[in-house]
Amino acid sequence: MTLIPFAWMRGCTRLLAPLRVLAAQGWLRESDVDAGLKLLHPALRLNRVFAQVVQRQWVADDMLELTLQANGNWRGAQPGQHLQLFLERNGVRLSRSYSLTAVQPNGCVQIAIKHQAGGRVSPYLLEHLAVGDVLELGPVYGELSWPEAHEGVLLLAAGSGITPLLGLLRSALAQGFSAPITLLHYVREQGQRGFVAELQALQAQHSNLQVRWSLTAAGVGSEGSVGRFTDKHLADIAQLDQRRVLACGPADFVAQVQQWWQAAKLPGALQVEAFTAPVLRADVSLREVRLGFTRSHQQATANNQLSLLEQAEAHGLKPAHGCRQGICASCTCTLLSGTVRDLRSGALFSEPGQPIRLCVSAPHSDVDIDL
Amino acid sequence: MRRDRELSLDEMNAFGSELDALRQRTLADLGEADARYIRRIRAAVRFCCWSGRGLLMLGWFPPSWLLGTLLLGLGKILENMELGHNVMHGQYDWMNDPEFAGRSYEWDIAGPSDFWRHTHNHVHHTWTNVLGMDDDVGYGVVRLFPEQRWKPFYRWQPLWVTLQALLFQYSVAIQHLRLDKVYKGKLSKAEVRPLIKQFNAKILRQWGKDYLFFPLLALLIGANALAVLAGNVLANLIRNLWTFTVIFCGHFTEQAAVFSKESVVGESRGHWYLRQLRGSSNLNGGPLFHILTGNLSHQIEHHLFPDLPARRYATLAVEVREIAERYGQVYNNGSLWSQFSTVLRRIWIYRRRPSLASC
Repeated sequence: MTLIPFAWMRGCTRLLAPLRVLAAQGWLRESDVDAGLKLLHPALRLNRVFAQVVQRQWVADDMLELTLQANGNWRGAQPGQHLQLFLERNGVRLSRSYSLTAVQPNGCVQIAIKHQAGGRVSPYLLEHLAVGDVLELGPVYGELSWPEAHEGVLLLAAGSGITPLLGLLRSALAQGFSAPITLLHYVREQGQRGFVAELQALQAQHSNLQVRWSLTAAGVGSEGSVGRFTDKHLADIAQLDQRRVLACGPADFVAQVQQWWQAAKLPGALQVEAFTAPVLRADVSLREVRLGFTRSHQQATANNQLSLLEQAEAHGLKPAHGCRQGICASCTCTLLSGTVRDLRSGALFSEPGQPIRLCVSAPHSDVDIDL
Repeated sequence: MRRDRELSLDEMNAFGSELDALRQRTLADLGEADARYIRRIRAAVRFCCWSGRGLLMLGWFPPSWLLGTLLLGLGKILENMELGHNVMHGQYDWMNDPEFAGRSYEWDIAGPSDFWRHTHNHVHHTWTNVLGMDDDVGYGVVRLFPEQRWKPFYRWQPLWVTLQALLFQYSVAIQHLRLDKVYKGKLSKAEVRPLIKQFNAKILRQWGKDYLFFPLLALLIGANALAVLAGNVLANLIRNLWTFTVIFCGHFTEQAAVFSKESVVGESRGHWYLRQLRGSSNLNGGPLFHILTGNLSHQIEHHLFPDLPARRYATLAVEVREIAERYGQVYNNGSLWSQFSTVLRRIWIYRRRPSLASC
């Protein structure tokens, strides 16, 4: 139901300031206020950021670009960052991060979503999400930025790693960046090359831009290079030793790029962003993991056997806790990334944003928790 | 009295594993239906409270005033028990929805949620019916079991209990302040001061809403402020009496057991389950009755599985009862009135100083 147009809804945000103060001080319950605001416009909320789907566009066989217009609580973002998107499936509010492919001046943002076979979120978004639907957005993260020095740039992307780099590329070209840029995108098959028409048009328009694809699935011969990342693919890039490099893709791809970059001794800093798949193998033998306590800005080396509560305490933190045996929920804390194992049942949890009990959860991979 | 079979260590572990497996099966099955249920309960709370408050604006006209008061009382009961209590146990944390997050939910009652999460979720649920550890056994004003040491103060306990029932939400709220310890000097005033501040702030909000804002709103729109005020007072009273009745039936019935501090040293998971079963008692009734008690009518299941959504307890009860019988344990259940009358009997009997012969 929509009683007021989108623009009015965004205008409402300031008028709600008194309610926001009352809710913050506990005089009003935010969920009750939101229940009323939702009746005026489905994307209107007191504090939470909700966005309406304005447009959907296929940019590859398995990739969809969504244009989202957020409500007045949105605080903006930079190209190269990624945002959290929430979707409720089977009663559970799931969250996934997607890179911004564009940040438009009118407040709209674009993200590109790649189909993950067997995934719980992307298949739904690709097949069922319609223009006009409303989604919750979480905070924006990410440090990738366009190199400031006016030298050449080399962009290395694998799979959906194209998305943040495209966001940066679009805005750099729009601002008149004139030094040479090479974009090398690794995809499995021809149909997975994303944004082909747009990239070719950009190439025609900007003589400093060169776009190449490399198909990694065996036996498919085509234009450009073939196979996984190797320094041979970079052999004919002019002034390679002057280029600033940005790389984004799965963890093993990024590790290969890092290896090459260190050996090649290129100038400046290498900027990378890697996606890691959740660790879901059942192996519980003793191993070392990294614990990140984000609120206290602490990193620690830990093991996968003891509970997070014990290990946090061993590192000097004092998390709130009660029974220490999984009854009272006093030590509930948010899992930000990684996989944890329930010490009682052995069940694995890897949903980012999921509340977990520190006293009965052990890290199962590198883990970041909101502590 | 209870006649439970004593379990060997192996039996106790097997008993625990069976209940763990039951818990796991239910956890794996949680989904859409549970999420829809708790949202519907919240919608019912909103409907009852707002329609009740609306009707109270019509003044003293008996049908509307009574119905308004009852609806508001019903809304508060549902919010208190099926919504607030259960959400604060983290029963819906798996939904990942901030509106149903156990650690931040604030309920519509005098006691701050943070206090409750400590006294109830942690102390009461971990040390259920352990004398000297679970303060919920008589709340410090009632002697319910012969094992509790008698004090002259208990002579008048029928009176204290009546007062507690009338003011139940405040008795729950001050529990966390541990005024007895402050009185005895075991807790410094400086330690209690921040708690008192939190306590006052919450009471101020509750009174401000029920006894000031809505009566003033009535004045403003030309309705009868006194009728609104009286409706709010009565609605809170109805909620106090109902929650008191249900909660006193949970652990103080004739067949409920209490435990010594020594008996829980080095307690295993199976032993903990067993203590929860022996210390809790159920109330029989229909689906609506169960919802009105916040499913605390399934107190046994609630104490075995405090973090499973309460709407599952009725189904779980069938299996829990079967397991309890197989291990020779009494499954303590009965109608509200039969169970409550045994509680009243305890209050009446144990007010007296035990004669030396029975000691």
